[in-house]
Formats: sequence, C-alpha cells, structure tokens
Amino acid sequence: MRVQLNPIVKKDLQVTARSMRFSWGLFAYEAVLTLAFMLGLLSIQSSVDSYYGNGNVYQDLVNLFPVLAVSQVCIVALIVPIMTAASISGEKERQTFDLMMTTCMSPLSIVFGKVASAVIRILFYVIGSLPIMALSFVVGGLRWSVLLYFVLAVILLSVFAGSIGILCSALCKRSISAVILSFITYFLLNILTVIPLLVRVIWFSKSQYLGESLLPLLFNPFMFYEEFFMQILTGDSLFGNTGGMHFSRTDVGFLTYSFAQGKIWMFLSAGCILLVSFLFILLTAWRIDPLRASSGRKAGRRNQ
Amino acid sequence: MLYINNLTKKYGSFTAVRQLSLHIPEGDLFGFVGPNGAGKTTTIRMVCGLLRATSGSVKIGNVKGAVGSKEMKRMIGYVPDFFGVYDNLKVREYMDLYGSMYGMYSRDIAKLTDDLLELVNLSDKKEDYVDTLSRGMKQRLCVARALLHNPKLLLLDEPSSGLDPRARVEMKELLKNLHSMGKTILISSHILSELSEMCTSIGIMNHGQLITAGRIEEIMYQISGGRRIHIQISSGMETAVRMLQEHAGVAVESVRENEVIITNSGTDEEISVLIGELIQKEVVLTGFYKEEGNLESLFMQLTGGSEQ
Repeated sequence: MRVQLNPIVKKDLQVTARSMRFSWGLFAYEAVLTLAFMLGLLSIQSSVDSYYGNGNVYQDLVNLFPVLAVSQVCIVALIVPIMTAASISGEKERQTFDLMMTTCMSPLSIVFGKVASAVIRILFYVIGSLPIMALSFVVGGLRWSVLLYFVLAVILLSVFAGSIGILCSALCKRSISAVILSFITYFLLNILTVIPLLVRVIWFSKSQYLGESLLPLLFNPFMFYEEFFMQILTGDSLFGNTGGMHFSRTDVGFLTYSFAQGKIWMFLSAGCILLVSFLFILLTAWRIDPLRASSGRKAGRRNQ
Repeated sequence: MLYINNLTKKYGSFTAVRQLSLHIPEGDLFGFVGPNGAGKTTTIRMVCGLLRATSGSVKIGNVKGAVGSKEMKRMIGYVPDFFGVYDNLKVREYMDLYGSMYGMYSRDIAKLTDDLLELVNLSDKKEDYVDTLSRGMKQRLCVARALLHNPKLLLLDEPSSGLDPRARVEMKELLKNLHSMGKTILISSHILSELSEMCTSIGIMNHGQLITAGRIEEIMYQISGGRRIHIQISSGMETAVRMLQEHAGVAVESVRENEVIITNSGTDEEISVLIGELIQKEVVLTGFYKEEGNLESLFMQLTGGSEQ
C-alpha cells in the first residue's frame, strides 16, 4: 500500500517554514512562555521567602506547570483559529482554490490537510517549548508522562479550534471575517454548554439537585482543561472529592455521577470534543464541495 | 472526446447556459467565442466540475464517472483566465504540489516537470519562486501544470487575457504545439483573430446558447451561402459579368473597376471550370482567390453586433 503525505500539509509546511512570520511567531511564543516561567518563579520565590513561607522553594515549584500549561493553552487557543480561518478563504482570496478543486483531492482530504498542517505547525511551537515546560518537572515531582498527556491535550485543542476556524473560513469570503467569526463561534460554544447548568441553578435555586445539566459541559473545551489540570495535579476529577465540586449521588443524575468517577469525564470529554471537531470538518468539506446541491449561486453568476 | 448534452445552468429565474449540446472530436483545437456573459466560463466550469449543472450531462471519452469524479478530473487539464500563486513556493515545488494532488509519484513528477518546463520554455526558472515570474510566464507555467497528469482534454479559459503581445504570441505557439502533439483543446477567448489562426473549429455562444459550432470554413460557408471568390480582370469585364450572372450556382455580389466578387456554392472543380470558361471567352484575368474566413465578421453577424 502506498502512503503519501497529504500534499496540502507538505505545501503548507514548506511555505510556512520559509516565512519570517513563522520564525518571529516561534520566537514570540518561546518568549511569552519564558516570561510566564520567570514571573511564576518570581511569585513562588517571594511567597517562599515571605514571613509565612516555609523556606522550601522546591515544594511549590510544581505550581509552575499549570502556569506554563495554561499560558500555552491560551496561546494555542488564540493562534489556531487565526491559522485555519485564513486557510480556505485565503485560498479563495489568492485564487488558488479553484485549481485545487479541479485536482483529484476530495474536499474532505483538502480540509483534513488544512487542519493537519495547522496542528503540525502548533506542534512545532509546543515541542519547541518542552524544555521550558520540563523545568517544572525537574523539581516539581511530576511524571514525564504528564508532558505527553499535555502534548496530546494541546493537539486536541488544536484540532477543535482548527475545525472551528476552517468551518468559518469556508463560510466567509474574507479571511478577516473568518477569524472574527471563528472567535465568536469558539466563545459561543463555551457559553452554550454552560446554559443548561445556569438554567437549572437559576430556575430551581431551592433544589440542590442538578440532574444531568452538567453533561453538556463534556463538549466544553474550557471545562476539559479544568478537568485535565485537576487530574494531573490531584489525580481526582473536578467533580470528585478533592476537586472542589464534590457531588454526591443525590446531587446529580446517574450519568453525571458515573462520569465524574476516576478519569472517565476527561476521556469522555476528549471524545466529545473530537466528535464535534470531526463534524465541523465534515461540514466544511460539504460546504466547499462545488458540486453539492446548493452550491455556487453567486459564484456562478459572477463567473458566467 | 468531449460530449456535452443539453447542459443547462440556472440561477433562479436567470439561465446562464441553456440546453448546450456540443461534441469536440479527439485532437481538435476548439475555440469558444462569445460576448461577455455569454456563458463560456460557466460551461467550462461545469465541464471541469467547479460548478454543478442544473441539468444535462458531460462525457469525456469513454470515462464512465460523473463530472467531478476522480476519473473525470484525471482527463481534464484546466487553465483559468487568472490564477494565484503561493508565496515562498518554487516552480519545481509548485509542479510537485499539483502532481501529488493528482496522486502521482514524486519521481514521475520530477521527470515530467523537466520535460514540461522545457515545453513551455521555463526550464531556466525551475528554481525560481513562482511569485517572481511575469504574468505570461505564470500562464505558461499553469499550462505546464495542467499537462502534468497527462490529461486528454485541455480546457483554457481566456488564457491570453491580460498578457502582453509577446506573451500572447508565445501562448499561441505553445497551444499550436500542443495541438500538433494530438491534445484535444478547448479554448475560450475574446481575441478572435488569434482563435481563427489556430483553431480547427469554433463554437459561438450568445445569451447562454450555442448559436453555431463546427469548422470555421463550414460555418462561413453556411452563413454566407457559399464561398466568396474575388476575380481580378484587366479586360473583358462586361463579358465576364454577363457570363457569371448566367452561370448556375453563381451569384455576383459586387463589381468593381477591375474586380468581381462572386459567391459560389459549388465545388472547387466547378470553380476551375468556370475560370476556364472565362479565359476561353477572352476575358483577361490577372488573378483570383477565395476569401479566407473572417471570424470577426462572422461573430458580429451571428451575435447581432453585440459587444465582444
């Protein structure tokens, strides 16, 4: 069987590697992380040296990990939609899209290629930052496998943010509109999943029973990362005993209670986020297919 | 090679292409002519799968796949009127990108790239960045790209638009070369003189309809009701005009001082007999010639003088 690298990925990486923007981006990324590390270290040092401090800096250095990890997640969440939101609309603006669509590549493989190239470019940044991340491991007592989990979690976020970005890119003609729309969509997705819980809490404020109103949070990437860091730092679920949101069997529905045990919530949430990403990718492929039933009304009129 | 059957494209109540049926034989260089908004680009985009037809069908050779299928895409090389390029991509890499998009092996792409760049006279630009090429060079590169997967049918949508005269001549020569290599080519253009020089047949579109299609001479023949022949005479004009008027199948169009223009629907043999008869009647001929097809006049006649 012949395995071929997706041509879109190959081209995007070739073009990216030669651009000054990529070099400066990498530099800025590492600089921000280093700054976060230095500030975190400074904060820990001053806390340890204070009157109430125990004088042992090593015990607190483990807290550098969430500082750095959250910084990375925030940067990735910010740059991936920008990267992918310009992918399809950028091809249209450059007038390279039509040529691409006349080749043997299917719309789905084009979209996969675009998302994959964004994820790989993010991996350049993340893997480049691993030595800085590892500083918190040297003295912090975390296992090396946590680094691997972290990289996987960043890939998940990249795929999710990338799928939103590329869908918006297919919906908008201009890249700038696509970037704005993808941030709005990203924000709305985080908000929408909290609404059932808010409704439950506000309307049934006298009752403590939340039912299954927490389940939509499985699709919430922000909650996924909350859960992820909680699992790494405490080994417990956000909804578990040490997670600060301990729910008894009578507080929540059966499903929510079951999923809050061990690592189930984290893996299930990862699966849900991947599923949504895949649906967005399928939707994008359908959207860019020129032969779909409702395609090209305006484009066709313009080109006749 | 290309069979288009009742192809229609509607946008709401507006019909961009109406019941277009066309057959382009293998090895033909077919010129697609029509004013702006006639539906040429829409037709080409429907053939190469960039636009969904409202009704009708397109068939290329013996391929069973539908428009947009991989089998069909492999048969077509498409050159749009304008196309963009990627920054930071070299000519060789540009060819490699599109070759791999057609599922070709890298070693095959590399070999074909050399041959095709030589064909389009861009061998020395192989390591240059695509965005540094001139418009004419980019257009030739686009033709090379379109040929990379060895398509049977080449579709060119106004490839000469925006090119300077030199680049136009180079493009014309390139297309003639490709035609001589046996490629079937469909080209739409506004430059009628160029089309009449290189095309073996043409199709004229207006308001989304194909008005006529076929060999240029045949269309001219059909439109004018026969071929126009100029006979230059130095003496015996009156005798000649009388003879020509009495001759069956000949219509005298105009009589000038030393020239008679006639329309004849007969064969070449009949014309030679007619010339012989004139000489026998002591009419002194200084020359005669058949008028070549004039695509501009034909186009204006068929489209009612509408804007090109």
